[in-house]
Amino acid sequence: MEQTIRAQTTLPPKIGFAEKWRRRLFGNLRDGILTMILIAAVLGLGSVAINWLVINAVAPWSTADLCREATGACWPFLVEKHRLILFGTYPWEQQWRPFMASLILLIGVGVSMVPHWQDKRLIWVWLGLAVTFTVLMRGGVGGLEYVQPERWNGLPVLLMLAIFGLVFAFPLGLFLALARHQDKLPALRAIAVLWIELVRGVPMIMVLFLGLFVLPLMMPDDIKLNPLITTMIALVIFHSAYFAESIRGGLQTVPLGQYEAADSQGLSWFQKTRLIILPQALRIAMPGILNTVLGAYKDTSLVVIIGIHDIMATAKMSFSDPVWQRYGLEAYLFVGGWFLATCWCLSSYSRWLERRTS
Amino acid sequence: MKVRFVLPAAFAVLAGFATQANAGPVMDKIKAEDSLVCLVNTNSPGFSVPDSQGVYQGFNTDFCRMTAAAILGDAKKADIRGIGFSDSMKTIVAEGADMASRSITRTGTRDANPGMRFVVTTYYDGQGFMIPKKLGVNHASELNGATVCAEEGSTTLLNIADWFGDRNIEYRVENIADKSARLQAFFAGKCDVLASDRTALSSDRLLADNPGDFAILPEVISNEPLTLLSRPDDAFETAIYWAFQVMLNAEAMGVTSENIDGIMADLANQPKGVQRLFGQDSAAGEMAQQIGLPADWSYQIIKQVGNYGEVYDRHLGPNTSFDMARTATANALSQDGGLLYPDPIR
Repeated sequence: MEQTIRAQTTLPPKIGFAEKWRRRLFGNLRDGILTMILIAAVLGLGSVAINWLVINAVAPWSTADLCREATGACWPFLVEKHRLILFGTYPWEQQWRPFMASLILLIGVGVSMVPHWQDKRLIWVWLGLAVTFTVLMRGGVGGLEYVQPERWNGLPVLLMLAIFGLVFAFPLGLFLALARHQDKLPALRAIAVLWIELVRGVPMIMVLFLGLFVLPLMMPDDIKLNPLITTMIALVIFHSAYFAESIRGGLQTVPLGQYEAADSQGLSWFQKTRLIILPQALRIAMPGILNTVLGAYKDTSLVVIIGIHDIMATAKMSFSDPVWQRYGLEAYLFVGGWFLATCWCLSSYSRWLERRTS
Repeated sequence: MKVRFVLPAAFAVLAGFATQANAGPVMDKIKAEDSLVCLVNTNSPGFSVPDSQGVYQGFNTDFCRMTAAAILGDAKKADIRGIGFSDSMKTIVAEGADMASRSITRTGTRDANPGMRFVVTTYYDGQGFMIPKKLGVNHASELNGATVCAEEGSTTLLNIADWFGDRNIEYRVENIADKSARLQAFFAGKCDVLASDRTALSSDRLLADNPGDFAILPEVISNEPLTLLSRPDDAFETAIYWAFQVMLNAEAMGVTSENIDGIMADLANQPKGVQRLFGQDSAAGEMAQQIGLPADWSYQIIKQVGNYGEVYDRHLGPNTSFDMARTATANALSQDGGLLYPDPIR
């Protein structure tokens, strides 16, 4: 008897699927009105989007002449211009090179995301990638034709600035965080504080301008810096400060007892940091670090302001062609699609990592 | 008789010395590298924009090709580079490029810089106004009380202030930095007038849903002589200047890239002017020797690039989306009432 009563009170009353949704969506008058408004909005917006994207659009395999009359998207535009958007003014016959260069960078990122492989070997992987990327893009060795940096445009420039910028900024940020977190070397600590606060106190555009105009002035006359390199240095300086603060947040959560325990084992400072402190701190700091990575990746397109043509700038070029100037929306959708896909991968990875560590 | 043979010979010898003495470092460098570095805008519809293959095309880029055809005999040897924020004039002064064909306005203070030379004006532009036809305005002087959309921080605003100020016309400015946003505001009626260079206005007009609803007013309120820029080098400057004159002369004489092969096959029966322009043993040939150009330089320019009218029509003329009339504008030949005056080649 007691058993049955308990069963009755703990199990929710059995209702059908339709009934459950009816109660959720139309439980009372207010819910019902809200639901109707939302359905109307979704249908309205959805039908506009579908009309533009599919029904009134010109299919990619049709001729571009049909686009003049169509009220929807002009997909032949992307068929015609996708290589310009991806690789810009890089010599047409040589465009397999930026393609391969972009691909190895993406593979490099994929490999670095596997937790099992995240160790010292990655340093060599990234140095190797940097050399291979430069050789592929620049040429001038091994029978590859030389291509001046002015012709490096589009996707490889975005990936190069974002990925190498972040890869080189991370160790620097780690060093800054450790320098700021300790109190044995006050001078070093002061430098780290100054660096981080100065960089975080100015907009990214300003750091980019400093890289483009001030950095070359500080160099000896006979060294001519490639604007892509100066921009990358500026980005490394900028991102390192944000990494440092994310990592320092992690460092502060490691309990004092962990330090004392490590000291009592007779570990050196280096051993203590590497074996005890950092593994715990980095795990805590990971969401913050990935947040910085996502933001930095998207901000990279700001380099167009200093005349570097990443994928956003080449998209603009694609619809500056007088014949194609009506199709800016299609070009931006293409670029938006790329950013959405890559950022979605990054944020799913970050969610997966959090589930795995917790 | 004797004199006629001796003189050219003497000239040839002199020319030999002259070439040695005058051929500047820039000309020598271009010939040694068999390539000419020419700067253009990265994104200027009608003037220079990369095509689907990533090769710059447009009115300005054709003058890079003209120079390469004249000096190197091959228009494709022009190494055309888009240059963005970093100033093309600074790059020329720093010897990072040989020439620039980038819609640069020749001004007094710019020309005073010894590190660069303005060579020849290829296009006469000027600032103008576009209005919706329903506004019922025919002249800029009737724009009293109008709201003007213009690019923030540009010389456009300074020119408007000068012009309206001189005429005591009241106006209000709507500053919008982004071009698409500015056009949207204008087409949606948020401002009465759009101010910009007239070439830019012509291409902007096409972006309206009904371009026929908008008109460009006749007033031109500033002078913008868009001029080819080169590194200082006598021989190089002379080559650019006269390559351009060849294009003007060819247009005046009706020689085009289409008909030039027929004309060359029958050169002896052509008018004297055409013979001087393309004959290797006449004025063009003599110039080639003195400046240090291939003997058939004038032929190569017209064959590979075309005359001035062809270049204009190809990129800006009635068959393009710009549809910019040339008759009775400054960019017509002088014989048609314009400012382009073909210097005699003789």
